[in-house]
Amino acid sequence: MKSIECEFEAETLAAALQSRWPERVDALLRSHVAGCPICSDVAAIASAIDDSRDDLRAHAVVPDSGRVWWLAQLRARREAAETAGRPISAAQVVAFACAVGLLGACFGATSTWFQSVVRWIASNLPSATALLVQHSALVLAMALVLFLVPTAVYLVLGKD
Amino acid sequence: MFRDLTFTDVHRAEALDARAGFVMDEDTFRAFYDRTARGVWAYLARVTGDRQLADDLLQEAFYRFLRADAEHDNESHRRNSLYRIATNLARDARRRSLIRAPFNLSCSNIELVPSTDRHAAAAGTEFAQAMSHLKPRERAMLWLAYAEGASHREIAEVLGLRPGSLKPMLFRARKRLAALLGRAPEKDKE
Repeated sequence: MKSIECEFEAETLAAALQSRWPERVDALLRSHVAGCPICSDVAAIASAIDDSRDDLRAHAVVPDSGRVWWLAQLRARREAAETAGRPISAAQVVAFACAVGLLGACFGATSTWFQSVVRWIASNLPSATALLVQHSALVLAMALVLFLVPTAVYLVLGKD
Repeated sequence: MFRDLTFTDVHRAEALDARAGFVMDEDTFRAFYDRTARGVWAYLARVTGDRQLADDLLQEAFYRFLRADAEHDNESHRRNSLYRIATNLARDARRRSLIRAPFNLSCSNIELVPSTDRHAAAAGTEFAQAMSHLKPRERAMLWLAYAEGASHREIAEVLGLRPGSLKPMLFRARKRLAALLGRAPEKDKE
């Protein structure tokens, strides 16, 4: 099994990161690195990564810490306010649904013409069902058109 | 038109303050930020290959770090948490970009800073190109190991890997980068 570690790896890395590689290192270490695939890889990439890190850090333009703190505070407050407001909204929705249901029930119970319409639908339901079954192909085609046309319009316009 | 503050308003504001407050105080945060921001930005820039994205993710990483309200044993633990958040953000950003523009991925724009040293600029570009050929996780792993000096345990923690599997992965990533930099033949491409 091929080894993936070398006891001189740390020493080679230190030499590369301290810019001592390859001129200012022990000759013994240099000859080891020349023959060791692990240490030669470490030496090759460590100095390149180190140079890149120095370059990136030197050119990094990061915002001021005070500004980041202030923006974080603002955002946290906003999110806390949104979280606090959410149960109220949910309660409002439930209350509205209850009110609409109550109004509908009152209307249904008191309105005579509404009750007569409901009775007429209930009495004619079997014949209406039979009619739908008789013309099922036509009904199906109409349902498809009603579904497909808006879908097609949505897909065509939705691309914009 | 203004109205006077009621007790309800005051209680509500206090409740919001309590919920919006962070475990870390301002001075501690600012000192921590000043010590780590450039390093995290460089890490994000290198892993994502995009300066603009690194700018955005940096602020988001620090915000999420604050919001996590985690207690940290020491500076090293705190840094690891921050880098883990940054890594996850970079991963999510990459997933989003894959969904948005799956055929436009070669976008390493982080070596665009004009350099007065022509040789250094060329070396930087060569390095950036080599890094862009690696997988994001390989880039993160190498950067944490060789730019941040993180231990294997720390890298595993930041990247969410098992410490045991890190060594061979790091070995392969190192080999690939060395080959891409043209300083070693890519003969062990197992």
